[in-house]
Amino acid sequence: MIRLERRSAPSPAGMVLIPLTAIFLALLTGAVFLYINGLGSPKGISWGQVLAVYTGMLDGAFGSGYGLSETIVKAIPLMLCGLGVSIAFRMQLWNIGAEGQFYMGAFAAAWVALSFPDLPACVMLPAMVLTGMLCGGLWGLIPAVPRAYLGVNETITTLMLNYVAILWVNYLVFGPWKDPQGMNFPLSKPFTPAAVLPTLGNSRVHLGLAFALVLAVALWIALRQSRWGYEVTVIGESPRAARYAGMNITKNILLVMFFSGAIAGLAGMAEVSAIAQRMQQGLSPGYGYTAIIVAWLAKLNPFAILLVSFLLGALQVGGYSVQSSGVPAAIVFMIQGALLFFVLGGEFFNRYKIVCTGKTKMEV
Amino acid sequence: MKRIISFVFMLVFVVALVGCGGEKPKAQEDKKEPAAKEKLKVAFIYVGPVGDGGWSYAHDQGRKYLEQQMPDVETSYIESVPEGADSERVLTELVEKGNKIIFATSFGYMDSVIKVAQKYPDVKFLHCSGYKTAENVGTYFGRMYQARYLTGIIAGKTTKSNTIGYVAAFPIPEVIRGINAFTLGVRSVNPNAKVKVVWTNTWYDPAAEKEAAKSLLEAGADVITQHQDTPGPQQAAEEKGKFSIGYNSDMSKMAPKAVMTSAVWNWGPYYVETVKAIKEGTWKSSQYWGPMSDKIVDLAPYGPMVPEDVKKLVEAKKQEILEGKFDVFTGPIKDQTGKERVAAGQKMTDAEMLSFDWFVEGVDGTIPK
Amino acid sequence: MTADFLVEMKQITKRFPGVLANDRVDLQVKRGEILALLGENGSGKSTLMSILSGLYRPDAGEIYVEGRKVTFKSPREAIDAGIGMVHQHFKQVDTFSVAENIILGSKEAKFLLKAGKVEKEIEELSRGYGLQVDPTAKIWQLSIAERQRVEIVKMLYRGSKLLILDEPTAVLTPQEARELFQVIRQMTARGQSIILITHKLNEVMEVADRVTVLRSGVAVATRERQQVNQRELARLMMGQDIIVPSKKNPGQFGQEVLKLESATADSDSRRPGLKDISLTVRQGEILGIAGIAGNGRRELAEVIAGLRPLSKGKILIGGKDVTNLSPLEIIEEGVSYIPEDRLGSGLVPNLGAVDNLILKEYRRPGLGRGPFINRRKAGEFAARLIQDVGVKVTGLEVPVKKLSGGNLQRLLLARELASSPKVIVAVYPVRGLDIAASEAVHKMLLEQRSKGAAIVLISEDLEELLKLSDHIGVLYKGRLMGILPVEEAEPEKIGLMMLGAQPGEVMAS
Repeated sequence: MIRLERRSAPSPAGMVLIPLTAIFLALLTGAVFLYINGLGSPKGISWGQVLAVYTGMLDGAFGSGYGLSETIVKAIPLMLCGLGVSIAFRMQLWNIGAEGQFYMGAFAAAWVALSFPDLPACVMLPAMVLTGMLCGGLWGLIPAVPRAYLGVNETITTLMLNYVAILWVNYLVFGPWKDPQGMNFPLSKPFTPAAVLPTLGNSRVHLGLAFALVLAVALWIALRQSRWGYEVTVIGESPRAARYAGMNITKNILLVMFFSGAIAGLAGMAEVSAIAQRMQQGLSPGYGYTAIIVAWLAKLNPFAILLVSFLLGALQVGGYSVQSSGVPAAIVFMIQGALLFFVLGGEFFNRYKIVCTGKTKMEV
Repeated sequence: MKRIISFVFMLVFVVALVGCGGEKPKAQEDKKEPAAKEKLKVAFIYVGPVGDGGWSYAHDQGRKYLEQQMPDVETSYIESVPEGADSERVLTELVEKGNKIIFATSFGYMDSVIKVAQKYPDVKFLHCSGYKTAENVGTYFGRMYQARYLTGIIAGKTTKSNTIGYVAAFPIPEVIRGINAFTLGVRSVNPNAKVKVVWTNTWYDPAAEKEAAKSLLEAGADVITQHQDTPGPQQAAEEKGKFSIGYNSDMSKMAPKAVMTSAVWNWGPYYVETVKAIKEGTWKSSQYWGPMSDKIVDLAPYGPMVPEDVKKLVEAKKQEILEGKFDVFTGPIKDQTGKERVAAGQKMTDAEMLSFDWFVEGVDGTIPK
Repeated sequence: MTADFLVEMKQITKRFPGVLANDRVDLQVKRGEILALLGENGSGKSTLMSILSGLYRPDAGEIYVEGRKVTFKSPREAIDAGIGMVHQHFKQVDTFSVAENIILGSKEAKFLLKAGKVEKEIEELSRGYGLQVDPTAKIWQLSIAERQRVEIVKMLYRGSKLLILDEPTAVLTPQEARELFQVIRQMTARGQSIILITHKLNEVMEVADRVTVLRSGVAVATRERQQVNQRELARLMMGQDIIVPSKKNPGQFGQEVLKLESATADSDSRRPGLKDISLTVRQGEILGIAGIAGNGRRELAEVIAGLRPLSKGKILIGGKDVTNLSPLEIIEEGVSYIPEDRLGSGLVPNLGAVDNLILKEYRRPGLGRGPFINRRKAGEFAARLIQDVGVKVTGLEVPVKKLSGGNLQRLLLARELASSPKVIVAVYPVRGLDIAASEAVHKMLLEQRSKGAAIVLISEDLEELLKLSDHIGVLYKGRLMGILPVEEAEPEKIGLMMLGAQPGEVMAS
């Protein structure tokens, strides 16, 4: 008989070996699929070519200054959303709503940019940041209120509000915000240059990166050094102990969900301002959901979130770039999926271990 | 401690990735270079997978045709590229990989195409269905509404319930124009028929498209057509034993008992013409909107269920269109409220057609404002 | 091996992190007898029976069935050996029929269920034992008592020779309980052996042939039913070796500190809450509270700590009305609380010693400036406390869940006693601790007493109460049956009061 047992603590060797094994297995699985897929092509395929696909992915993501900059562009919204959800997760609040909070942040920022096009950049951008964060934060606060006062499960409510936010933005670009010069296409007017976040040199890497870096440091300090961070940690780990110690759990639920939403809202603001430069549908290809994986893989550590976002960004950028060498998109998506599957699965073995109940060995 | 270990692991991972990345690409490029010198590289980006059996599939058929017709051209494609931020990167990468001509086959790539084109003036970009051009950016599209009108005639002759279902993606001018042309075709042979429109708000979602078609069938429609990228609606009609008209490519294989014909794209000849013109240096940026007589749009072969007299009727009208004797949007045309929008004998201009935001009489549906 | 015994457990030892759940326990079950396994909550009954039914494996010790040594790797193997356990929570599929549930997971359940045949067998079996069960009924249609019968029939159907019932009457009405006892008596007549896990003395007296008493993981006694009475059982269960409180100085009581006036509170479930409790604790006094689990012990502690609102009545601390103030305000009034679940409400398992020790101090200016906590000062503060109480920790940041039970409790006390509290509420402060750790905890409490704290000590261990308390109050069904000076508190008297007797009646008897 085989049984799973929770590890009292992850073993240090396992923390390094398990993820490496997971990545290796994922690449191996992907290689098998690539090979099988290649057999169908008229030219056939060698294992060398399979390897070339992987090196091509790495090359696309890291191999050039451009690739690297695009990987960062892709990582910025993941970083911000990941940081956002991580605060909520730390308090065991399952905020699945970063996607919606992202959209509401983008919506509010776009509203400022479209309604007051004459503002100079020094007023425009701070106003967009503030309204974006405020609106994302309020969107996070909506499910927090029933959770804090009535104990309504926030997983479902945050998730449902994502759809509301996305449809709201769709409504705007198909209706009131439609660009009159856009020949009835679902796009808002482009923002004025003052409403576009400055970028680094010629690349698309924008100020959002600085937001993410500063926030990561701020969060790290806040969680480790502040009374509030201490309260959040204790509430997350043991609500009963927190209650006994006189911590205000209700207030902290509201606060944490607001901040969580505000940071996701900032991500939306940065994306709409720097990348899309107008409101449009499909602004996020699911950043808010990927952020959940990011936060989880990073074990809620702010700096690890930056790094994991960067790696996931690379995975996507690299994925598109190998398509031009003839790998179908479906195979690329499969490799990406396999990587996540194995890494997440490996994470499981970091937390649990398999026990063969035939032996009478006890773990202490 | 735990945090430090996880951090170290992350670092190792990155270093490993970068380390591997540093070595291999050279070998890869060495292999490619000799071939690249000879051939003209042309790239395509698609919004859906090439196997969608619809929009992207039709473009990819054109790409294959191009490769066949011009052996000195090397083509590549990237599929499933979302509209928006990702497309800008994909376009840039394609240029960086040495492509000299890039066909961007979805409306949502428009801004990205313009941005990337500014950076690379010596690369030609052709953007399908958009309206922004530049020195090195041309747009291309076909007058699909002509084929739509003809399919409308078949639908109008077929319907018994006088209700025809139209599964439509987004309320944008291209789609609205198609619905209007189709409805005019229907009403030219059956003035009592109505065309019921359902919006799916997606180009590519097999399940959602099929569901939308089912809802139309339940609402009494006995002929289904679509402005969508998958054959889902056709299959819904087939399952209910009703008839349908396909779009993008010949969809009769997916629903042989239902599909009467399809309004199809035939991009191949245009791609060949364009690449040739660019190669010879005669190409100039323009907004190409090809008529049926350029073969860019056509009807797929009729299904066995289409009666001979209907075929004759359609063929006759088609001939008029090909010879330029008949324009679909010729007055009198009334809108849904019965108000006359185009006076008798007057023809709509291209600009008017390109910004359609109203339905003609006979359409049962609304355009979200 | 004497074949007299159907099952024999020898020197069974089981350790959980921080707790010694079973300590060299011996247990024998004869054929056809009802053995009651009596003990307080947390005394190790369930652990012992989980070992016998194959759910846990012992760290040490041996099990013999019909004289043969066995090791069970799973409940399945225990069932095969004829040992079946009926848990308090039934694992049944609501939408399946009784017969389907019975056959589910048994050996006969291959792919094809011969429903008709099985149903007939079940009907015969249940009729034979007087267990009325309709094999075709769906589980969701049944009452709790009927579901319990299904569970028993399931074990019989699988050929069980020894049936373990885990507090079976907890979910039953008195009438249903009486019926159940009739049924199990009939079953013993047909050769079944039964172990009845319980903490109710009257059940033991009503139905058992023999009784084994567990206290703090140790089997303290096994008796024939005819040879014992409830009083003696209570004494065995609570701790019989009453040591005269020698270490304690005579009390020097100061002013009244804690006062409850007609305090009434609801409980979480249908269990009685608190009704009309009035009591006073003075400086330097320890008031011990006895009572059987579920009679309001926990509620009383929570009410004083501000974690459970009063619906009626008042709480005063130092003359100030603190009724229904927030936990934080209660802490500010100088109340410390050593809760029943050390790792649940007392400490945060995944955080280190520092974070746990500053839990009540982190707001104070000494530990930081503005919104920040000075980690260095916090570390110094924690190190000082740890040194004071002599906790052995491997590191200040190592999650405290890795500490032993004794060290956990010392850590908790270090925090709670650091602020020189006016009032201390301690619930089962030495549960699961070894003798040395228990002594250390008792010493710390007595020190606080001599410093002038008013202490409420809630315990299931009568010995502990008699050793430490100046007065002892007894709770029964949420009411305070009376408060006796410790000199007058004979264990028998307390035991009877725990069963609902008034102090007056006890004296008269």
